[in-house]
Amino acid sequence: MPRFMKSAAVVLTLLALIPLLVLVKDRVTDSERPRLSLVYDMDDQDKVKTQRASELFADGRSMRPPPAGTVARDEPVGRDHLRDGRIDTLWVETFPAPVTRAMVERGRERYGIYCAPCHGLAGNGDGIVAKRAEALMEGTWVPPSNLADATVRARPVGHLYNTIRHGIRKMPAYGSQIGVDDRWAIVAYVRALQAAQAGSPADLEPADLAALGPPPAPEPAATTTQQ
Amino acid sequence: MDSQQKDPRRDGHDPFRFPKWANAIRLPVTLAAALAPLYILGLLYLLFSPGATSVGYQPEQPVPYSHQLHAGQLGIDCRYCHTGVETGAAATLPPTSVCMNCHATVRTQSEKLQLVRESFATGMPIPWVRVHDLPDFVYFDHSAHVRRGVGCESCHGRVDKMEVVRQSAGLNMAWCLECHRDPVPHLRPEDAVTVMGYAPDEPQFELGRRLRDARNITPKTDCSTCHR
Repeated sequence: MPRFMKSAAVVLTLLALIPLLVLVKDRVTDSERPRLSLVYDMDDQDKVKTQRASELFADGRSMRPPPAGTVARDEPVGRDHLRDGRIDTLWVETFPAPVTRAMVERGRERYGIYCAPCHGLAGNGDGIVAKRAEALMEGTWVPPSNLADATVRARPVGHLYNTIRHGIRKMPAYGSQIGVDDRWAIVAYVRALQAAQAGSPADLEPADLAALGPPPAPEPAATTTQQ
Repeated sequence: MDSQQKDPRRDGHDPFRFPKWANAIRLPVTLAAALAPLYILGLLYLLFSPGATSVGYQPEQPVPYSHQLHAGQLGIDCRYCHTGVETGAAATLPPTSVCMNCHATVRTQSEKLQLVRESFATGMPIPWVRVHDLPDFVYFDHSAHVRRGVGCESCHGRVDKMEVVRQSAGLNMAWCLECHRDPVPHLRPEDAVTVMGYAPDEPQFELGRRLRDARNITPKTDCSTCHR
């Protein structure tokens, strides 16, 4: 056998192993390349799906912002109490629907998602984002309100609702992230937080008071809510 | 002289005969020829299998947003930004205004946030790169899964530990069907859906079975469930 045959066989075998090694490397490492697709024109069709980019519009968005004055399908038009928390120029003092336990529970969950990062789980303004922002000492940060403060407790529920929807001072508007019902649910939960911290045993029903057992003898410890 | 040809078998240069040493390589050559197509098929299988192509996809994003910081260290709930996840098919990326909820007052000079501020000022969207991209003939619905107690983590992995988002599951059809045939390992109480590193107090298969029966969770496996 000519000598070149042997070396050719070795070289060919090694060459044939290269793609295998590349694939094995692909399997064990991360990549900035997207998935390979056999049928690319079906995988990526020329159609619009949620939040897809589009070359048709100058801003590159396929989802178009609604024209000014558009009324959303589920917007409670004509129900000022529910939608605005305000009738004419007066903040409403009552909830637009009876406050139920389910509503407060929902409010607690939503509060944990959207409010607790700054206001803290107990509403004292000591959320983890607020703490971190303060630690940065940048001078642009304004600490969030303590929701148990007398000023906040004195606010009508309509005002609290409006604050969630449109923001207040440095607090941004949460109307785009929290829907109408959830805003009211959060207000209900904030009222519950306030009652938990600023209320007195006299506010409780006798049955509830009995369920709590005898009051603790030493000074009241700082209240914390559990998540 | 011409008639005195050499015996071609002796020097092995007759172009019409195999040289003698060919006998020795008959077996290896036959084997190689037979196995080569199998080898190539195997390579193709690896090339298009989810392990090689989907898992580990980690593109660079236009803004170096860190889930590890926001969702991990700060513990911000997934739904703070991905507001569509409970009510719609798409979890939705947040509009720039949601970034500015905090960054209007926090890290206002950060170079990393330059694009966010520009986007907020001009109204031009940030060109985020989609990581989890199903084929366009698949109609996945986040709300259907989240509201039945499938945790974010089941498909997206430990996002709270990702500095840059990385695809951690294949998202291929066999992978989908695995859970549609038996969802028990992935069911959680509704209030634990966004929890990262969820560890139930009881064995997962007991919890999963209880939740499945309580909520009557019977995932479909027929084609039209996902392909319409």
